[in-house]
Amino acid sequence: MERVLSRNFHLPQPPGLAEYRAGGGYDALKVALGQDPEAMIDLVDKTGLRGYGGAGFPLARKWRARGSDAPHPRYLVMNVDETEPGSFKDRQLLYRDPHQVIEAVLVTGFIEQADHAYVFVRGEYSEGARRLERAVDEAREAGLVGSNILGSGFKLDIDVHVSAGRYICGEETALLNALEGRRGNPRAKPPMPFEKGLWGAPTLVHNIETLCHVPYIVSRGSEWFNAQGINGGHGTKLYSVCGEVKRPGFWELPMGTTARELIYDHAGGAPDGRELVAFLPGGASTAFLLPEHLDTPMQFDAVAAAGSRFGTCGIIALSSATCPVDFLLGINKFFVRESCGFCTPCRDGLPYLHSLLARVEAGQGKPGNRELMLELCAKIAPNSFCAFAPGAIMPLESGLKVFADVIEEHIARGACPYRGAH
Amino acid sequence: MLTDHERSHLAEHIARYPEKRAGAIYTLQFLQQKYSYLPDEALAEARDLCGLSVTQLDELATFYSLLLRRPVGRTLVRICDSIACHLAGAPALLAEAQRLTGSPLGGISHDGSVTVMPHVCLGLCDQAPAALAGEREVGRLDQDSLGELLASLKTGAEG
Repeated sequence: MERVLSRNFHLPQPPGLAEYRAGGGYDALKVALGQDPEAMIDLVDKTGLRGYGGAGFPLARKWRARGSDAPHPRYLVMNVDETEPGSFKDRQLLYRDPHQVIEAVLVTGFIEQADHAYVFVRGEYSEGARRLERAVDEAREAGLVGSNILGSGFKLDIDVHVSAGRYICGEETALLNALEGRRGNPRAKPPMPFEKGLWGAPTLVHNIETLCHVPYIVSRGSEWFNAQGINGGHGTKLYSVCGEVKRPGFWELPMGTTARELIYDHAGGAPDGRELVAFLPGGASTAFLLPEHLDTPMQFDAVAAAGSRFGTCGIIALSSATCPVDFLLGINKFFVRESCGFCTPCRDGLPYLHSLLARVEAGQGKPGNRELMLELCAKIAPNSFCAFAPGAIMPLESGLKVFADVIEEHIARGACPYRGAH
Repeated sequence: MLTDHERSHLAEHIARYPEKRAGAIYTLQFLQQKYSYLPDEALAEARDLCGLSVTQLDELATFYSLLLRRPVGRTLVRICDSIACHLAGAPALLAEAQRLTGSPLGGISHDGSVTVMPHVCLGLCDQAPAALAGEREVGRLDQDSLGELLASLKTGAEG
């Protein structure tokens, strides 16, 4: 398979402008500037390219929802607030090939006929943000960013915004608040950001990996893109596996690659003497899949059919050496801390769940605790304000069911059965 | 106090946005870089630049996890404790860090060299357990390499 997004990842340093151009960089921008934006939307629609930030919304549908008659100014925001535990693919794109990121913004900006672009980078990726800023300056000097890009008359400037932390700022409406200099609490929808986003103007927010595919589709076509995928997937995907495997890492592979190939062939399977017990397929806020699901193609529909979510497709593996309750505590600790505190079910419900889980793990659980936790899950997820709490609940609720026996064993024994076992 | 040059740099950055307050995060980050945290005086300096009250700025400073309202050691070490790092031993590293610095998480070590804090996923899951020492990424930590890291910060070799 041809490496597309990661074609420059082997270089010791991210390519500068000359090196990027020598490899065909910014050729797609030239192609795009000579085409009708609506025709490019039709083209991307034929690929089934969906959002890789977690939600999986089809890109062309997002463009059509805003429409070509949206008022100006229009904003384009690239979301590089990757904070989903177990996901580290966006970091690679930002750090290893910043000009590819800029070309993606420019081509998308032209398709959207945007007036200004912001790249929203999490503060922990400040070095990546600096690399991107340097590349933007380089591109601006070469006439690729700013006014009259490549003599086309199209104008787009790019600002890199370095955020100041908090997972919730990756949620698109919280991101808009963060960019406007407000607390990163999510906004009520509707209005959707494409109607009223940044400063009340139409705004489209996209994940970095999603947009990096757009220039390749524009220059090479939808058939080429679709042919890169297998098992019902389209294009390529930056997959990653971490947690309890021999060789955690990331790989660009055909979309639709099975979990078995990712976990065993690429990540080496569970460490010696252990077995794979379960895995979260799409980052922390997805439901567990089991060894029986290993042949599931890792693409949106197949993962949904298996009962979980494709999410960011950062796989996290759990092995037989780790207590599943401890794993759930490790997951939930993150969501407890990162709740923005705006709505009560999330702010108070998640810590309550955590305290119950911690008691079970400490051998102080009581009969009925698991059922109580399931009841809390059922109440928190649908009654919270945004998608954060449903995301937090997904691994917990599925873990409480999948690991019911081991949780009940904790309660019956008054101790963690894994303690002292390793 | 901000110098005239710093003030004009900030004003120029803020002017790029349609509204002044959008420059508040950058301004607070800039002030934190200067003072190592955000004392009340820093918020007062940001007030006029951003067109916000000190209370509104405090709302921001207390929301964003990378903005600090309390003093910290010379280097801030953020040890990731999200799931991949949790599985790879982050809880034990956080306990060891407290033992080595003689200070609770978030506190300043006795010699003033370091503050250690737990932090959310740093996107270094393939190098778990990982940390940021200042802005430097450190992966595959264990008790020994954590000890070496903290010792190097004492002598000012890092920062």
